[in-house]
Amino acid sequence: MADDRKVLDVAGVSKRFGALDVLSDVSFRVAKGETVCVLGPSGSGKSTLLRCINWLERPDAGKIYLNGSEIGVTGGGLVMTDRELSRIRTRIGMVFQHFALWPHLTVLQNLMEAPVQVQKRPRADVREEGLALLAKVGLSDKRDAFPAKLSGGQKQRVGIARALAMRPDLLLFDEPTSALDPELVGEVLVVMRDLAREGMTMVVVTHEMGFARDAATRVLFLDRGRVVETASPDQFFSNPESERARQFIQRYAGDVASGRLAVTSK
Amino acid sequence: MIRDFGVVWSEHDLLLSGLANTTILSVLSAAAALLIGFILTPVFMAKQRWLALVVRGFVDGMRCVPFLLFAYIVYYGFPSLGIRLDNWTSGLAALTIYNAAYMAEILRGAWAAQPREPIEAGIAFGFSSVGLFRRIVLPPLLLAAGPVLGNQMIQIVKDSAFLTIIALPELTHAASSIQSRHYVPFAAFITAVFLYWGLCLVIEVGVGSIDRLAAARR
Amino acid sequence: MSGADVLAILQGAVVTVTLSLVGILIGLPIGLALAVLRWADVPVVARVVAVYVSILRATPLVTLLLLLFFALPNIGIAIGPVSAAILALVMNTAAFNCEVWRAALMNFPRDQYEAAQSVGMTATLRFRRIVLPQIVYVSLPGLVNEMSLLIKVTPVLAVVGVVDITRAAVRIGAETYDPLPPFLIAVALYAPIVFALVSVQRWIERRQRIAEAAA
Repeated sequence: MADDRKVLDVAGVSKRFGALDVLSDVSFRVAKGETVCVLGPSGSGKSTLLRCINWLERPDAGKIYLNGSEIGVTGGGLVMTDRELSRIRTRIGMVFQHFALWPHLTVLQNLMEAPVQVQKRPRADVREEGLALLAKVGLSDKRDAFPAKLSGGQKQRVGIARALAMRPDLLLFDEPTSALDPELVGEVLVVMRDLAREGMTMVVVTHEMGFARDAATRVLFLDRGRVVETASPDQFFSNPESERARQFIQRYAGDVASGRLAVTSK
Repeated sequence: MIRDFGVVWSEHDLLLSGLANTTILSVLSAAAALLIGFILTPVFMAKQRWLALVVRGFVDGMRCVPFLLFAYIVYYGFPSLGIRLDNWTSGLAALTIYNAAYMAEILRGAWAAQPREPIEAGIAFGFSSVGLFRRIVLPPLLLAAGPVLGNQMIQIVKDSAFLTIIALPELTHAASSIQSRHYVPFAAFITAVFLYWGLCLVIEVGVGSIDRLAAARR
Repeated sequence: MSGADVLAILQGAVVTVTLSLVGILIGLPIGLALAVLRWADVPVVARVVAVYVSILRATPLVTLLLLLFFALPNIGIAIGPVSAAILALVMNTAAFNCEVWRAALMNFPRDQYEAAQSVGMTATLRFRRIVLPQIVYVSLPGLVNEMSLLIKVTPVLAVVGVVDITRAAVRIGAETYDPLPPFLIAVALYAPIVFALVSVQRWIERRQRIAEAAA
């Protein structure tokens, strides 16, 4: 039974690759406007969890609901076809670690491609919205540039704008700053923090503790495929319940204290 | 249909001698072409520009000429130079000269991709000329060029089939004879196709094992 | 060799170029279809395609042509020299093109494809708008190379009586008992066409190398 007030409802999701249990019985819910940060050591299954939400990976067990309707399985209990999955995916936006921009299209074309081709919205409207989004992420002057000419931080901001162009109910971020040079991380985190403040429903897998502390409404701590702890960021960082969380925070405490907090105020 | 294959089987002597001719022709010309390629490649990269240009002209020329036409030219052309060749020899000559150009190009590319330091180290350790070439230069070169040389080998096997037009008794010619004598075209040519396929699979297995040797040393 | 003889060879050139173009134009999309079938791993069909490509790449064109020309009538399908020639060319070049397309598909960056999935593009859209434009670019050198190889094997069509450059040259040589001059004229016709294609291929490769270096 899904909780209809929640945008995202993940219930008992498990996934294994070969002999390895990457995810074991993961459950959590995300309400509208929440920003949930998924933290954990490498190999804890964070990315896999995110990719299960929009069925880029197929969960071996468990159920996932978007606004009350199940993803991946039809009402009749059959696995969804690619077509049916595609329809649901238009409601979920995703930002990739390595940006995944389409190199043969300009920045603006990258933004317009899916709204025009998939959602069949009128080109002129989409273009207007696309330009507004580019302004929002601070890249208006790059609208006719090809992705190859952009820096990493610029590419990721385009990636975020591209996901927003679909007007999704939920935004997924898969380690959005992990592939960026340190000095470029800030510009992306600023955009993400503003989105969170504006009430976008977001699930963010990240190593940026500063961002989690600043912008998250809730922190989910994953270790070896299980949800070990979930709490508000203040509570998690100052008084973690579990030993694993304590170790994890201690390892990253240096980053928080030394100011590698890359979130800058605009 | 089964009866047709029975007919083909009854002519297995002819088929096998055709296969043998194809194999021998391919192996001999590949070896000879490779040898000539080894001689041409240094000239390709020689300091004297005119020498390099001559080789470049030869290689580009062979790349632009269809092999079948070249085989005709060798077969009909050599007599006018006073050299009488039977179809076997002229077929072998055509195959060898044509593919020597391709081998030279392949070796040049493989050589250009080779790191210089190990060879300098060889010289520093006292290797020189033949020894240097045989023990230091050649092995990595052949390991790297293995797959491409294998491909060229397959090309040679297929080009050998063209020589049926100068009545050389290779595999396609044998299949042709069988089909014209017994009216079993499907069975005869399908058998030939599968024999060619088998030959190429053998070459690919050989290339695969060279590649494994190379991978272990990368 | 008279002027009429040269004209005959030139007419053969028209046949050569026409048949080559037909072979190339039909072979390109069929090669792509075969590559997509393998890339999408359609059950059973993908394996059949793999075997087909393996056999076709190992089969000399002359053997394939003779097989089609003599065997098809034998099982009830009437086929003339030109049709057999086109069929043989297409079957052959489609197999080689398949491998070129397939290399591009195999190397296609996975995250771009997933990005297309994540915005809800269906498989057709993903392929048409995201994959295809890029694999055409990547496959271009290999495909042009295959075109030049195709031209170089067209002389084999003479074997079943198609009057292309080679057959015209052979006929004139037989009539005049002087085979060499017509063959040399034939070379003079083939070589520029092949050379043009090889030059185009080198130019494409150079342009792509420069584009990559600048990025």
